[in-house]
Amino acid sequence: MKQLLALVASITLVSAGLGAQRAPLPARIGAESRVVIEHVIDSARTAGLPTEPLTDKVLEGVLKGADDQRIVLAVQSLVRELGTARTILGGATNTALLGATASALHAGVSPTELRRLVRPPGDASADAGVLTSALVVLVDIVAKRVPAGAAVSAIGDLLQRGAPERQFVDLRNEVERDIMAGRPPESALLERTRAHLRQLDADPLMANPASRRRPPSA
Amino acid sequence: MPDDDESLPQPLLRATELLRDLPDVRDEWRRDLQRSLDGGHANEALAAERFPRRRWSVSPITAIAACLLCAVLGGVVATSVLRRAVVPTPTITAATPSTALQVRFDLVAPTATQVMIVGDFNQWNAESLPMRRSADGRRWEIEVRLPPGRYTYGFVVDGKLTPDPRAPESASDDFGIPSSVRMVSRAGGSS
Repeated sequence: MKQLLALVASITLVSAGLGAQRAPLPARIGAESRVVIEHVIDSARTAGLPTEPLTDKVLEGVLKGADDQRIVLAVQSLVRELGTARTILGGATNTALLGATASALHAGVSPTELRRLVRPPGDASADAGVLTSALVVLVDIVAKRVPAGAAVSAIGDLLQRGAPERQFVDLRNEVERDIMAGRPPESALLERTRAHLRQLDADPLMANPASRRRPPSA
Repeated sequence: MPDDDESLPQPLLRATELLRDLPDVRDEWRRDLQRSLDGGHANEALAAERFPRRRWSVSPITAIAACLLCAVLGGVVATSVLRRAVVPTPTITAATPSTALQVRFDLVAPTATQVMIVGDFNQWNAESLPMRRSADGRRWEIEVRLPPGRYTYGFVVDGKLTPDPRAPESASDDFGIPSSVRMVSRAGGSS
């Protein structure tokens, strides 16, 4: 009898451990949508993609009162973008970097442009923190109605020259201020980017050696 | 077909008779055989007494429980192996967001009675992070420790989700209600 109890206890503990891996979904989600969402999350887990952004997306949808269908579509879209992002990054599994790349795809930046930005030919390695910040700034700038091509070009120039993380953050704040002051988004970005490049020319030590790159040949 | 001996042909009957006769066996051979058989059984009994054979018996419930345990453990091992097999090796230097930064959020809402902050840093939980009213009573404030990254968030003002009027809106709004974006970086704190 003791053996039996020990076995049952072991099974319960192991099952609880397995259950803990499954992300809890809010009770408001209907049965059909729940099955679809759980399937998407399980597939992502099997493919080695992060599942937290997916559950966060569900919870965001629930808080915002979105219907089940809209939540399912958002989750399916996000998992596709995460998969494409990982391909673009050459298999990187850094969640923040994957998320930033997926956000850029969602914002309308094409996979080709992103590939050129994150993996220029001949590039050995890049600092994931700087790259993540650069992509986040790219997304925010595109959200400010700057054309994606111009934004990719500006961010690519700064990455190429080894701009540190701080400069990307400053660029975003400056462009936002300029737009709020009434300047057209694209010209605000171009002017501010030129100023940062001049700054890097004047003070080469400012550049982050870890993120300095050879110019992309494309 | 009849089965009695009378219906059989004579040569076959004679052969049957011959086979029925037992061959003569000497009495001493019979005795030797009997002795050796008795001795063998005695040895077996002695061996069984010295080294008793242990018989295992498992109840059906225990057997079922053991099978379930094996299935669960097998599943765990298979999942772990599969996961290890499909996750590729990172090729980009991983950032180490080990140092969380103190990030301050505030909102001017003098008439509000309750303000919460929600976002992907608290799983959009509208109860976990209540903001506190400032001394002058006009603003609501909170400080949250966050590792570097990009966060989407909003304020729940008296039950209504509201974006941060001072932060850029999220480009990736899927639900028709915009969120705000806060970038937390090692170099520049948060913006």
